Amino acid sequence: MDAVRLDNVSKIYQVGDHDLRALDGVSLSVAEGEFTTIVGPSGSGKTTMLQMIGCLDRPDQGSVHIRGRDVTALGADARADIRRDEIGFIFQFFALVPVLDVYENVELPLLLAGVPDAERKERVDALIEAVGLADRRKHRPDQLSGGEQQRVAVARALAPRPVLVLADEPTANLDTANGEKIMEIMLRLNQETGTAFVFATHDPRVVAFARRVVEMRDGKVVGEHAGAGATVGGAAAPVAAG
Amino acid sequence: MSEPAPSKGNLGLGVLWRIAWRDVTRNKRRSILSVTAVALGLTLLIVLNGLIGGVVADMVENAVRLQTGHLQWRNENYDEDALSLRPSELVDDLESRLARARATDGVRAATPVLWMRGLLSTADESLDLRLMGIEPGSQLHTHVRDGIVAGSLLSADDRDGILLGERLAKSLDVVAGDKVGVAVVSAEGTLDEGAFTVRGLFNTGIPGYDQGTAFFALDKAQALAQNRGRASAIMMLLDEPEAADEIAAALAEPGLETLTWTELNVTTVEYMTLARRFYWILDAIVMLVVAVVIANTLLMAVFERIREMGILASLGMRRGQIRTLFLLEALVLGLIGSALGLVFGLAGVTWLARNGIDFGEDAVASVGDAYAMGSVMYARFEPGLILGLTLWTLAVILLVALYPARFASRLEPVEALRKG
Repeated sequence: MDAVRLDNVSKIYQVGDHDLRALDGVSLSVAEGEFTTIVGPSGSGKTTMLQMIGCLDRPDQGSVHIRGRDVTALGADARADIRRDEIGFIFQFFALVPVLDVYENVELPLLLAGVPDAERKERVDALIEAVGLADRRKHRPDQLSGGEQQRVAVARALAPRPVLVLADEPTANLDTANGEKIMEIMLRLNQETGTAFVFATHDPRVVAFARRVVEMRDGKVVGEHAGAGATVGGAAAPVAAG
Repeated sequence: MSEPAPSKGNLGLGVLWRIAWRDVTRNKRRSILSVTAVALGLTLLIVLNGLIGGVVADMVENAVRLQTGHLQWRNENYDEDALSLRPSELVDDLESRLARARATDGVRAATPVLWMRGLLSTADESLDLRLMGIEPGSQLHTHVRDGIVAGSLLSADDRDGILLGERLAKSLDVVAGDKVGVAVVSAEGTLDEGAFTVRGLFNTGIPGYDQGTAFFALDKAQALAQNRGRASAIMMLLDEPEAADEIAAALAEPGLETLTWTELNVTTVEYMTLARRFYWILDAIVMLVVAVVIANTLLMAVFERIREMGILASLGMRRGQIRTLFLLEALVLGLIGSALGLVFGLAGVTWLARNGIDFGEDAVASVGDAYAMGSVMYARFEPGLILGLTLWTLAVILLVALYPARFASRLEPVEALRKG
């Protein structure tokens, strides 16, 4: 089943007297377990597309389906529930809650989802382990490096076991080594959990990790091809999601 | 792998409490600022109102204790301003009337009193003042007995003793044991004079009163004013001041007027009402300032955290939950701040109730004896008022928190994230 499907989605922003078509009749499907990147220059609509997929915003035209469910017309609460249950976010600026430590940040979405204590602890511990921060669990975001903060964000995004993780320029604020490390972690977790990843970037080294590359320009999807990840990480065929 | 979507059950308040508590305890600077604002505001309100309540209650109480008692029987023709001594304007038949008053339910004590205007003179000075003929042993004069600071009290059959207020004695430069002359205009219009020995000096704590009052025995007063068997009033002390109207009705007697303490202290009570109203305005201003400070702190907290709200929203927190989260944080801050304010306020009121603020006798004496104002102003512990102020403060906090909380919850997640 498709994790997400966009049908002919448009998003129009009012800029002064002009209508700016941030998205212009975009259609796209992402299957469960995919590892896909959206590329394109600044202003091509990558971020807007991720916001549509992530139910952070509503399209002006077209429809959005998450796991086959039409979420286009849902109200604020219902969209919040979809975000809580189906989607993980990783932002360029890390976006951790500053007053919470590593453990608490990863735990937060599970608290919101009402996961029972024992299971919550088990899942949080496993994820912190998986992103290599077991010795940092009591640290606050401001005590972590950028790379470490982004690894916390990855763990947090995966905590609710979403069908889809969206990452907007996840490596833009990281140096090369840390950027690659984040991509490796994301790829590994994609393979281990079967969660689909969609990330926007214009960093060619990041693109190299993707198995599928979607190109955007001026709010439209203008092309699509298999990424290097499809062959380089070829051993890792997408895990059938259950 | 992905588990079935959890039901859309509402997030328990318990979880929101945990998050709110974490936010409050981790944002130390902001929380300390908010808590301090609330605590200071409430402390100020409690102390201010305790002091006002104390002063107002003391003034009424002093007036009742020193000047009027709870109830008075007077001749219906009595002219208070003239301190009339005409027999037709006085209360007679004292024995049977006193017996009746004392036998009435709710009346704790009753005693006759004869007021007259007189001239008190020493070798060098003379002063116009109010003289009171009293039964020195009566419960209504406890304040005089307790206030004796030199010499001794009068006995009932003391024919030439007089008690003077300490301030009065000082201004006349006399001490206990000295002789003074007293002249009064009797009922017949003749000037009657007598020589008295200063038996004792009293200090009631009300400078205006101690400055202008002298007591002597009722018998002697009646003789001097040529009014044997008569009194200006029969003063009564009640078990329950609130029952004054009821008992006054029961004591109604032809030819007599029964006045309650509220009627007898009309000026004081009116002044108090006016003063209270004035203090309400002051209260309202303090409350407004407190509310603005609290609102400002909470608004600051919200605008500082708009991006954080975007993050919470992107993690799937609903609008209502974000709103509740902010209200809970305000509640936590409000509860801690109010608790501290309550402790400090109670400490302040307790201290001021015990020690008071001394404004100095001379300053207060200038108010005169129209208002029975003590030189030390004590706060009063009024649990109802303190509880009311605390609840009011909490209500204001939640009310002013409502705006930022609504603001926070109404932002689209995208906007909130962008504003970071």
